[in-house]
Amino acid sequence: MKSSYSFLFTAAACCFLLTGCWSQRELTDLAIVSSLGFDLNKDSGYTLTVQVINPSNVAGGLQGGGGTEGTPVTIYSSSAENIVDMNRRISSKLSRIRYYAHANSVVVSEELARKEGIGKLMDSLERHEEFRMTATIIIARGVKAADFLKELTPIDKIPSDKVIKNLEFSEKMMGEALRVNLQDVEKDLAAAGKEPLITGLKATGDLEAGMKLQSNQQTVPPAVVGVNGIGLFKNGKLVDWLEGSAAKGTVWILDKINRTIVSINWLGQEEAIAYRVLRQNTKIIPKLKNGRPEITIRVEAEGDIGEVKVPVDLTDHRQLLAMEKAVEQQIKKELTLAVEQAKKNKSDIFGFGEAIHRSYPKEWKKLKKEWHDVHFPDAKVEVDVEAFIRRTGLRNKPLISTKED
Amino acid sequence: MSLFFKRRKRKAGKQSKQGGQQMDSSEKAICPALEDQLAYIKTKTGNSKDIIIRKASFTEKLGIRTAVVYVEGISDSKTINEFLIESVINNRELHRKLPESDPFDILLDEISALGEASVHESWDGLFRALMSGDTIILVDGASKGLSASTKGGEHRSIQEPGSQVTVRGPRDGFTESLGTNLALIRRRIQNPDLWVEMMKIGSVTKTDVSIVYIKGIAKDEIVKEVRSRLNRIEVDSILESGYIEELIEDESSTLFPTLYHTERPDIVAGNLLEGRVAVVVGGTPFVLLAPAVFIQFFQSVEDYYGRAYIGTALRLLRILVFFISIIGPASYIAGTTFHQEMIPTHLLVAIAAQREAVPFPAFVEALIMEVAFEILREAGVRMPRAVGSAISIVGALVIGQAAVQAGIVSPAMVIVVAITAIANFATPSFSIAISARLLRFFFMVAAAAFGFYGIILGFLVLTVHLTSLRSFGIPYMAPIAPLIPENLGDSIVRLPIWMEKTRPKLIAARKKRRGGSQKPMPDSGRGMVKRPRKEEEGGRT
Repeated sequence: MKSSYSFLFTAAACCFLLTGCWSQRELTDLAIVSSLGFDLNKDSGYTLTVQVINPSNVAGGLQGGGGTEGTPVTIYSSSAENIVDMNRRISSKLSRIRYYAHANSVVVSEELARKEGIGKLMDSLERHEEFRMTATIIIARGVKAADFLKELTPIDKIPSDKVIKNLEFSEKMMGEALRVNLQDVEKDLAAAGKEPLITGLKATGDLEAGMKLQSNQQTVPPAVVGVNGIGLFKNGKLVDWLEGSAAKGTVWILDKINRTIVSINWLGQEEAIAYRVLRQNTKIIPKLKNGRPEITIRVEAEGDIGEVKVPVDLTDHRQLLAMEKAVEQQIKKELTLAVEQAKKNKSDIFGFGEAIHRSYPKEWKKLKKEWHDVHFPDAKVEVDVEAFIRRTGLRNKPLISTKED
Repeated sequence: MSLFFKRRKRKAGKQSKQGGQQMDSSEKAICPALEDQLAYIKTKTGNSKDIIIRKASFTEKLGIRTAVVYVEGISDSKTINEFLIESVINNRELHRKLPESDPFDILLDEISALGEASVHESWDGLFRALMSGDTIILVDGASKGLSASTKGGEHRSIQEPGSQVTVRGPRDGFTESLGTNLALIRRRIQNPDLWVEMMKIGSVTKTDVSIVYIKGIAKDEIVKEVRSRLNRIEVDSILESGYIEELIEDESSTLFPTLYHTERPDIVAGNLLEGRVAVVVGGTPFVLLAPAVFIQFFQSVEDYYGRAYIGTALRLLRILVFFISIIGPASYIAGTTFHQEMIPTHLLVAIAAQREAVPFPAFVEALIMEVAFEILREAGVRMPRAVGSAISIVGALVIGQAAVQAGIVSPAMVIVVAITAIANFATPSFSIAISARLLRFFFMVAAAAFGFYGIILGFLVLTVHLTSLRSFGIPYMAPIAPLIPENLGDSIVRLPIWMEKTRPKLIAARKKRRGGSQKPMPDSGRGMVKRPRKEEEGGRT
């Protein structure tokens, strides 16, 4: 009995003492990386840029000297032929262990996305045990990813947070952006019948001034980072940008629209009535006729009247029915625009191919090979929209019409 | 007066125990001469001043010399004066009976009529009676002594118990007097099946200990086991029920209490009705209850007095609180040193900012704070009341403010320690809260070595340990492990009283509590307001 206790004790002591807190990391030894940026070097290889959070400058707090003395983030860069190498090289510049578990965005420069494509990047990101596949991926449009990461943002102190929230809410409220994470891109790259879409962000204004802490001490920030178009990919490479209505149409076909605005012309006036979409449901119905794919996009939208700039009697239901028709036409136009652009680029970003794959698995095998280049541009796409005006807001007759009466 | 009659009931138990607890030599015979007897008493007690010897002549005419001996303070002097001396020894009516019979027998008869009396042939029995507050009467020429029950003296009155305070519920608590405590229990269970067994434990202290149970509800095996474990005790002193607890528990190498102790008679009554056995110890207000199960320590008596839903919610809260008080600081250590990815980014940044200036690793930081808090708490408990407020000011300022401002600990750590401490105070049973306090440090070490993995390992060890515990043969984790579905109604949850149809299966001998359904079924629900109730039909509409 006694020997068994001493054996247990020895075993327990070995467990605790010999293993010695393996993998233990103190918070003060970690450099929390909030964002990664990838650029293409001029000659060869890549440049990796990391945005490291300075906790005491973000959180403020009792000790540590107050919250406004330093920048909330610090940028480090290094160049090498492959990503893991660059990552190690950054160690020589940093006093702490790089910690990627909280990196929530990956920025790829437009140049890299166009020339090299994103496929190669994905591999090392996916292999890393710390890196989250739920991190958002964006394209720095027109600027280097390194410069993009350097921009300070006024309200959300960590720039990476600002970018993600920016994307999220513009997707929800406007519908001209898509928040895409690494996992989504991975899936689209792997699928034969769908190409990825990644939203582009642009930094405009005085970029030099935007890197300084003083930029946060003025009401008008010298440089503004904002959503600007959705990048259209083909074979993992960026080929075109979807802008405005085409971007919205794309998001709509993907059934990701939450709320948006549809403006229609009325009584000869351009964009006289704004229709606020509250909820919508979009379905893609694939069909094969004589081996030729026919896609029907069915949209059911519901919303309010948000603004009326012309005198209309909104209590008249015939007027509302006519408006609904106009809204339907407008939505259809936007969707068709998106389809046209995708067809032009020979890239099925909507996943029509995947829909056919699900409905006609046998026939898909034949279509698969040349789907993007031959069958998708050839496909007949029908857009069928049904819009419904639920309310006209808190007002019936516009102020203009009452005055004229 | 009442004290005088009280001892009658317990006579059987006491007599049967006579053989057991012998002290050194004194099986000495009583010599007939009164002077010798008194001299022996004086030598034996070292001439102690609280032993009062009053000499009196039994009946003036015959002049039979007698002596009355009692201990001042633990006996009721009023009883001794008014009844023993005035109405027995100085009773002139008794002249007539003499000299037909022995004066000793007359005294015995007379005293028996007034209260409990017994004859002792040996000094041992006489001293035992004397020391427990009885009065002994010695008669010249008789080589035996008489003892009359005159227990009394000053006692703390019945007060509200200091521990286990409730908002709703009876306000009386046990006192240091065994007789009062037994009375408090019997007042609640007015049934002849409530049986009380008396014994004396402790070769020097001769403490009164009684086993209380309800015959028919308590399992005979458990009662037997309690009795035999108590009989086995051979120590010199029992000063508190904690002594007994430590001597009769099943497993001594555990942090968890395997006997429940309480100051509240309503808890004891409730547990007796569930089939448990109470051990009441003289000289302490804490009564032991056996067998105890783990879940019992999370139940408050108030759960039964309030609404069932609220009782259930509070029980769940208490279990949560127990876990917090065990793994509070441990999860802080694990989260900040091993699993930073589990903490939301903004929270992590906030904690990291606070930790920037702290010179210690998280484990050391947590240890400093926890030890400091334990010191503070211990000081608060032991300090005289007048200095108590000084302690709290120093504690609040030094630990709460100065330590943070000096950059020795982070504010987040202070919050963790504070939550843990409050969680610990919210555990209803002090004995389980104190084991959680100690366990917390083991979990902190495990978390510092292995992170959450270590905490899970710790819980595995804890679960294995808890399920291996027994309390008087009953599994400690019952009714969860082993799972007894019919008893789950009064475990983590508290079902309404009308749904609890059975007593604890493993503990009680008679399982069924009652016959039919007791669910309240009012005849006239809302109809009462609208129309007069029909007398005969009593129809439920």
